Amino acid sequence: MYLKIIKNDFKRKKVITSTVFVFITLAVLLGSSATNIIANLIQSMSAFNLAAEPADITQMHVGDYDQIAIDQFTEAHQEQIAMQETMELLTIDGVNIHFRDNNSFAGTVQDISFVVQNTEFDFILDLNNEKLNVKEGEIAVPIYFMEEYELTIGELITVVQGAYKKQFVIADYARDFEMNSSLSSSKRFVINPKDYGDMLQGKVGEREYLIQFKLRENADSKKLQTEYIDSGLPANGPIVTGDMFLIFNALSDATIAIIIILISILLIIIASLSIRLTFLATIDEDLREIGVMKAIGLSNKDIKKVYLNKYRVMSVVAGIIGYLLSFVVINLFTSNMRLYLSSDLSGSLKYLLSLVAPLFVYLMIVLYCKKILKQIDKISAIEALRSNIMVRGKNRKYRFPLLQNKFFNTNIYMGIRDVWNRFKLYRLLILIFAVCTFIIILPLNLYNTMNSPEFTTYMGIGKSDVRIDLRRTDTISEDFKKLQEELQNDPGVEKFSAYITSSFPVKNKEGTWDYLNIETGDFSVFPLNYLNGRAPEKAGEISLSYANASSDGLNKKVGDEVIVEVVGEEKSLKVTGIYQDITNGGKTAKAHSSLGLNEDAVLWYIVYLDLREGVDKVKKMDHYQNMFVGAQVNDIQDYKKQTLGNMMNQLNSIVLGGIVIAGMIIVLITALFMKMLLSKDQSQIAIMRSIGLTSKQIQQQYVAGTLMVLIVGIILGVLASEFLGEFLFSLAMTSMGAARIEFIQIIWQTWILCPLILIVIVGVTITLCCKATFKKDLSIVLRG
Amino acid sequence: MTNIIEASNINKKVELDKGHELHILKDVNLVIKKGEFVSVMGPSGSGKSTLLYNLSGMDRVSSGSVVFQGHELGSLKEDELAKIRLKYMGFIFQDINLLKNLSVIDNVMFPALVSKGVVKNKVLQKARKLLQMTGIDKLENHQITQASGGQLQRVGICRALINNPDIIFGDEPTGALDSKSTEDILSILGEISSTGTTVMLVTHDVKVAAKTERVLFMKDGNLVAEKKMKKFDHLQDDSKEREESIMKWMVKNGF
Ligand SMILES: Nc1ncnc2c1ncn2[C@@H]1O[C@H](COP(=O)(O)OP(=O)(O)OP(=O)(O)O)[C@@H](O)[C@H]1O
Ligand SMILES: [Mg+2]
Repeated sequence: MYLKIIKNDFKRKKVITSTVFVFITLAVLLGSSATNIIANLIQSMSAFNLAAEPADITQMHVGDYDQIAIDQFTEAHQEQIAMQETMELLTIDGVNIHFRDNNSFAGTVQDISFVVQNTEFDFILDLNNEKLNVKEGEIAVPIYFMEEYELTIGELITVVQGAYKKQFVIADYARDFEMNSSLSSSKRFVINPKDYGDMLQGKVGEREYLIQFKLRENADSKKLQTEYIDSGLPANGPIVTGDMFLIFNALSDATIAIIIILISILLIIIASLSIRLTFLATIDEDLREIGVMKAIGLSNKDIKKVYLNKYRVMSVVAGIIGYLLSFVVINLFTSNMRLYLSSDLSGSLKYLLSLVAPLFVYLMIVLYCKKILKQIDKISAIEALRSNIMVRGKNRKYRFPLLQNKFFNTNIYMGIRDVWNRFKLYRLLILIFAVCTFIIILPLNLYNTMNSPEFTTYMGIGKSDVRIDLRRTDTISEDFKKLQEELQNDPGVEKFSAYITSSFPVKNKEGTWDYLNIETGDFSVFPLNYLNGRAPEKAGEISLSYANASSDGLNKKVGDEVIVEVVGEEKSLKVTGIYQDITNGGKTAKAHSSLGLNEDAVLWYIVYLDLREGVDKVKKMDHYQNMFVGAQVNDIQDYKKQTLGNMMNQLNSIVLGGIVIAGMIIVLITALFMKMLLSKDQSQIAIMRSIGLTSKQIQQQYVAGTLMVLIVGIILGVLASEFLGEFLFSLAMTSMGAARIEFIQIIWQTWILCPLILIVIVGVTITLCCKATFKKDLSIVLRG
Repeated sequence: MTNIIEASNINKKVELDKGHELHILKDVNLVIKKGEFVSVMGPSGSGKSTLLYNLSGMDRVSSGSVVFQGHELGSLKEDELAKIRLKYMGFIFQDINLLKNLSVIDNVMFPALVSKGVVKNKVLQKARKLLQMTGIDKLENHQITQASGGQLQRVGICRALINNPDIIFGDEPTGALDSKSTEDILSILGEISSTGTTVMLVTHDVKVAAKTERVLFMKDGNLVAEKKMKKFDHLQDDSKEREESIMKWMVKNGF
């Protein structure tokens, strides 16, 4: 019998039921896809990790070094270190690497190194996760470059420097666990040892070393790092730890998964609201049925079961469809993963993990229905049989008499007062519209924020035009001085500021010493937005990045003291401010130049500059690029784009996807709502038509009411995305080192363009819905 | 006197499911003159209501033509029909059909307020006058859930009159009322008719028909007979007598 009632109910409310069904399916689909991504991510990361065996500690170093000393250190720490290997890299300027006709890698923000495959661990892989084995004359190119420059296997790459010139055939992609991501700043090209030897002989590029350690389980990485540096072993470059690589590799896919999960949760909310809406809108009809059921002796429990079963059946079917569809749709989201992490996503975890979504949705829907259905307990059989009790119920105070209206025409006023009179019904619509707006505005704000010039402040960089990095060479100190002199005398440069980053021992919260990268210079030239406090302005002051100041860093607040060892002497620096930085793993610090340098451990020299109005940026950049061979001159916006480009592209599709989904939902919900409202109101509409209102006038009433609701919904949605969205996004970014991201709102987009689009969509939908109902003979409704 | 409605050869057919058709009105020809007070009688299901809805343009005829004051209703668009209803027609129903979210006075004023070029104050005055005339001025600010059936029917009449229509249609306006209320409503309708407004009522009640000047008799969708009488004057005429003569006439025509 239940099945029959369900079938009847479905027949009676075809459109409504289908719409709710679509929402539930979509929610499951997205939820499953997101969990699917996560499952794939977990499995492919672990497979990747297994095949590549990345190093746990990587110390970069430029210049001479003593392998024997390192071997002794390894020997001495055998209970901690499993393996040690030193990889030699030849860093080559992008200008010297050519492909196709006249193209080169000049302008890339990445450091390009040529290497030979390791023998012990930290292997560079091909797309099948097999160790690359590059033949003579061939080269394996990092995925980032293959993508960025649209290279294909079989194309030629030519390295020219001085008298050296050699052509390589691209034989494979290089999938590199340690340097895959655009967030890590260098990329490794793999060539054959013989070719590498030729390059060395040809004195091409600069030699660099990666002194790599694979640790045993339970080894204390932090302690080992300090011990390493304290033993005076080569260490004039930054140290990178294994967890960094993990974060970089997973970041963009994880972000996507999180955003999809968010949208899926919003969809569950919308589905629940629609169910409630359906229930409210059809309560008059349903009441009669409930009355009949009560009259024939069904208990409240039985009646609830009838309704609940309907949604149970619906959620189960929607769950199955959504779950199965997710395996089709998932391909849209995993192209990035397939390329960068693992081509083979056949792991079985996803089948299990993505079951979470349908189960969760089923549970939510059933719980929510149970809550709604509590109302049935309150209705007695007689009451239920007397229809319209919901409307009659109590004698409410008469509000908004028609003559009180001074501003609107009567039809618009009728629409607006209807919203007040049936606020319970419209309230749901407001919520739904707000959620839809949220779905559109949040990704849009995100996108605008990441695209704005101010975003660099979260990368620890003040807003500026150009950044010049000096690579370590024997002449770096002179070059750095010369560069500053040049800039000083360049009339095209409005202002510039030079910074030197070196590694200092800093007392950590346990009282032992850690090495910390501290940037020194004048930070008033390109001011950062500080989370707390301000930039260091004079001697004895330091500011910390958010991740560094947090409890798993140094655990400091503004005003606290930090002990730094400078040339053998302990100095106490006062923390003046905390800023956000998502580069270098988020742990950096800035101090006034008077701190001096740790000459043995200078990591990099950077100059930021702003050009005067009207100065040709590209020309200026070329000028400095040519003058300083070891320099890397980048447009800051370019730098950001190249570093975050991958994520921004994916965000781009999410913005679009969000708009499409929200648009669809809005059309569906509005149509659904109008259909219910119009059928609920059909006698009232017929009365108005019999009086002589034109369909346009009646439409006006509905459009006015719904648009008012929409506008309130939009306002709530925009505010929610501004505050709640900002909060959520900041939460997600905290792990990277940005704690409080302020959304950049482009006013005309959030407050004008989006609302306008929504208003047009809703307006058109309502008009179309109304049209359909104004065709019939009036008498059919009027004689009841 | 000029004609307000001229209906010639009107037929109304409705689709029932699966190709079946129901022929409700069959070749009805009818002329109604301005100012006439007409009633339509006939057995249940004979098509009285259908006739009313088709003459007023609320439904569309399947064939034939209805001309209302020179407008061929069949050739007009929905919204043009609506405008004609708003301006020239008033309706009273058995189910009263008031708008449930509006108070008594707002229900009455509503058709005027949605018309073009009205002065709100004048509308309010007119509405109050109508409420007074129908004797429900005390209910002005009541909600319609707080009034009785007879009172509501008067609200319906006031609403029908607010735009000074040329014709008032009533589909059993007294059908749900007791005899006292029926009396009251009829005397109000008589007064309206006496001011020159055309009134056309569908009714089961001979008492109602007896107060009109022309009775139409419908049977199986055909207009089978009509009876003309002189205008009812409650001072001179005996309504009992008129009722009996109508009864006789109806029986003669196969009631
Ligand atoms: N839209 C429709 N669809 C199907 N049948 C209809 C429709 N409208 C009217 N009818 C049928 O046409 C016939 C005439 O209906 P109508 O309402 O005009 O009768 P009536 O004379 O007013 O009856 P009553 O005195 O009971 O009100 C009835 O049999 C009715 O069932
Ligand atoms: Mg009837």
